[in-house]
Amino acid sequence: MMPFLKPSLYLSAALTLVIVLAVPVFLLQSSAPFWATYGISTIAATEWFPYEQLYGMLPAIIGSTWAIVIALSIAIPCAIAAAIMANEMMSASMASATRLGMEVLAAIPSIVYGLIGLWVLLPLLQHSFDLLSGHSLLAAGLILALMILPMITLMSMDALKQVSAEQRQAGLSLGLNWEALLFRISLPQAWPGIRSGILLALGRALGETMAVMLVVGSLDRMPQPITNILQPAQTLTSRIGREIGEAAFGSEHFSALMACGLLLALMGLSISLFAHVRGLNK
Amino acid sequence: MKINHYLRMLTFGITTALFISSAYAAETLHAVGSTTVMPIMSNAATAFHKIHPDISITVSGGGSGVGIASMIQHTAQIGMASRETTDGERKQLDNQVENIVIARDAVAVVVSKAVYLGGITHLSLAQIAQIYRAEITNWKQLGGPDAKILAIDKEASRGTRHVFAEAVLGSAHARAPGASLISGSNNEEQAIVARSNQAIGMLSNAWLNDQVRGIAIDVDGVGIKPTIEQIRNGRYPISRGLHVLIAKNATPATRALIQFLLSKAGQDIVKQAGYLPIR
Repeated sequence: MMPFLKPSLYLSAALTLVIVLAVPVFLLQSSAPFWATYGISTIAATEWFPYEQLYGMLPAIIGSTWAIVIALSIAIPCAIAAAIMANEMMSASMASATRLGMEVLAAIPSIVYGLIGLWVLLPLLQHSFDLLSGHSLLAAGLILALMILPMITLMSMDALKQVSAEQRQAGLSLGLNWEALLFRISLPQAWPGIRSGILLALGRALGETMAVMLVVGSLDRMPQPITNILQPAQTLTSRIGREIGEAAFGSEHFSALMACGLLLALMGLSISLFAHVRGLNK
Repeated sequence: MKINHYLRMLTFGITTALFISSAYAAETLHAVGSTTVMPIMSNAATAFHKIHPDISITVSGGGSGVGIASMIQHTAQIGMASRETTDGERKQLDNQVENIVIARDAVAVVVSKAVYLGGITHLSLAQIAQIYRAEITNWKQLGGPDAKILAIDKEASRGTRHVFAEAVLGSAHARAPGASLISGSNNEEQAIVARSNQAIGMLSNAWLNDQVRGIAIDVDGVGIKPTIEQIRNGRYPISRGLHVLIAKNATPATRALIQFLLSKAGQDIVKQAGYLPIR
C-alpha cells in the first residue's frame, strides 16, 4: 500500500501548483484585451457605464477597500479578545462552547448572512442613521465583520492554545503578572497563527460576493465625500456578481469584469505579501 | 489507514458521478433568464413534467440579458427574455435562434404603499423621467408626502430596465442619475419597495401587491392603470411581449415544451401568473 504514498503526494502537490498558477494566468489572459484597449489609467476613472464603453474602476475599488477596512477593524479586536477570553479566562466547558458557537457561525452559508443583512441590518441602519434604505458600505462592512469573526477567533484560539505550558510557567515563575504574561509571552508566540487567521479572513472578506451584493446597493458611483460610508455603493465582487451573467464570454465587458477580478486578486496578494514581509522582519 | 480513507473517498466520488449521470439519462432541459417569465416557466415545467415524466426541466433566473447570453453560449436549451433582443445580440445569435412570444405584460411603475396612500396614484412619463434624472427628489414636489424619493434602478441587463428606460428615459441604456439603488430580480426589487416608505421602482404587473402599488400613467390627461385589460387594449404605455428563445435545431422535447406553452393549458398558466395570454 505504502509505495503509492509518495507518488500520490507529489501528484497532489503538482496539482496544487498548477491550480495556483492557472488562476492568475487565466485572469491575465482574459483581461488582457481590456488592458490593451483602455490602459492602466482606467483604474483611476470614476464612471462605469459598459454600454457607453466607460469602464472606470475607482468607485468599486474604493468600495471594496472600505468594506474590508470596516470589517477587519471590527472583527480583529473582537475576535482576538474573544480568543483570549476563551483561552485564558473561561472554564474549559465555556471555552468549548465558544468554539462550538464559532464553528456554527463559520458554517452558515453566505446567502444566509446576506438575508440577515437584508431583513435585520438594513432596517436597523435605516432607522438609526435616517437613511433612504440602509444599503451602504457600512452595512457591507458589518456583515463581513460577522462573517469573518469566527475564522479569526478560531485561528486565534488555536494559536493561543499552542503556546507551550513551559513558557507560561517560566513566565509565572519570573513573577510576571497576567497582563505581562499575555502581552510578552502568549500573544507574541501566538501571533503567526493569529496573523494567518486574519489573512484567511481578509481573503474571504475581499472575495465575498453574495452577502455583500444584497446589502451594498450596487450603485456604481463614488462615495460623496469619499469617507461617506452611509450611501449605497459598489464593490468589485458585487459588480462582477451583478454583471457577469450578461457579459458574453470574450466580449469587452467580460474582459473588463475579468480585469476587476485581477485587481481583487492583486489586492489580496499584495496585502498578504505585505503581512509576510512585516512578519519576517520581526 | 490513510490509503483506506482515500479509497473510500474515491468510491464515494465514483458512486456520486454514476448517480448524477444516471439521473441525466432522460432528457433534462434548462431554462434560464428573465425573472418575469420565470413564474410561467416554472409552473409550465411542473405541468409538462406530469405529462412527460421522462423530460425534466430546471428553471433559473438571472435576467433577460443572461437568458439571451445563455443562448449565445449554448449553456441552456431555453432562454427567457422580457424584451426584444438588441442589434448586438442578434448579431451574436447569428440567426440560429427562434424567438417566440408566449405572453404579454406591463412594466408597472410601482411605489411604496405609504407613497400611494400619500396621494401619488398617477404620474406622467415626464414626471417619472424627472425622478430618475434627479430633477425631482422629494415626493412633496409631486403632491405626495414630505419624504425623499428612493428611486430604484435595475441592473443594465434586465429586460424590465430596457423596456422601462426606453419608454421613460428615451433609450434602453440611458443613465439614471436620480437612482439611489440598483436591484436585480423582480423579487429583490419587490422586497425593497415593500420595506420602504418612500420608494419608486419598476416591476412586471404580476408582482404588484398591497405593499407594492402600481400607479396609473397619465396619457393625454387620463390615468391608465397597469391592468390586464389596459394591456390588452394597448392603452397602457409600457407593455411588452414575454419571449422564449430556442435554437433552430432544438430537440423534439424542447419543441414539445414550447407547444405546451402555446397550448390552451399553457396559456391558462400564463393567465394564472397574472399576465396576458397571447391566444
